[in-house]
Amino acid sequence: MVYGVREINVSRSGSGSGGEPVNLIDTENGESLMRVQPGVDLVLSNLPPHSPGSGTLYVTTKQVIWVSDLGQTKGFAVDFLSISLHAVSRDPDAYPLPCLYTQIETEDDLHSNDSDSESNNHALDLSTVREMRLIPSDPTQLDSLFQTFCDCAELNPEPNAAAAAAAAAEEEGQQHNWIFSADQMEDDEQPEEEGYIAPNLANSLGHSNGDHDLARTVLELQINDQRFEDAEEVEHDGDGTHH
Amino acid sequence: MLFFSYFKDLVGREVTVELKNDLAIRGTLHSVDQYLNIKLENTRVVDQDKYPHMLSVRNCFIRGSVVRYVQLPPEGVDIELLHDATRREARGG
Repeated sequence: MVYGVREINVSRSGSGSGGEPVNLIDTENGESLMRVQPGVDLVLSNLPPHSPGSGTLYVTTKQVIWVSDLGQTKGFAVDFLSISLHAVSRDPDAYPLPCLYTQIETEDDLHSNDSDSESNNHALDLSTVREMRLIPSDPTQLDSLFQTFCDCAELNPEPNAAAAAAAAAEEEGQQHNWIFSADQMEDDEQPEEEGYIAPNLANSLGHSNGDHDLARTVLELQINDQRFEDAEEVEHDGDGTHH
Repeated sequence: MLFFSYFKDLVGREVTVELKNDLAIRGTLHSVDQYLNIKLENTRVVDQDKYPHMLSVRNCFIRGSVVRYVQLPPEGVDIELLHDATRREARGG
């Protein structure tokens, strides 16, 4: 995926204005148009607005596309995966016009944070754009626009989170594979008797990576660190689910 | 699904959501979904000097993957319940 806001070139379906930006919508991979909102201005970071209602917003199942009505072929797009949050802003102290405020995750956020001070010097360095405002000329559209963004955000979970959530949803009543902590592994393999020193754990580690020194180290750590075992026993005594 | 269930029980309470970009937003928990996306109402930014324009937004949708912490109201934390739920979860059901 591409992080942050990107500049786009639009080729419209059909002739004249009003066609969808067909070259940007990946229908073959299931992307579809959720909403078209004409009369929307777009403001990146703290740059001045273009002009009121000067573009058209296309919200798809994967991304937000804004196309200027003036240029007709120029615009900006951002994937829902990059939109960290969105909110309806109506407080004139926060921004003069009612708008949908969004925060954008950029490539910079993943690697370093040292570009904040530079962002004012570049008129349009898109990699530093962390905020985007969408200003519909009709403010009564804001709530439903907000809801559309919510719906689309839920269609775009993190790839890893999606897999985990799917696994969890399927799990219902059967063993799942989330690992929350080392305690869980201990719990899973621990027989109910007292005085247990986890030989199985050490064996399986030893076989799995073939490094016996490492396996022994792990075993020693398990043996030497009695604090957790004591805590376990106390808790087991306390809730009465054991013995 | 433990945290999903748990956060669902906190709907209607005041929480503070701290994002990975250090922004902390306080508001009433409106809803949460399976990806731990969070919707807040009547929000305000904790560090208002840093994010003055975020001062007050009525609705706010926060992507689950950008959340670092959720600060819970003390009275919303039932330690016994959480303890049991955690153990059940750890045992796989």
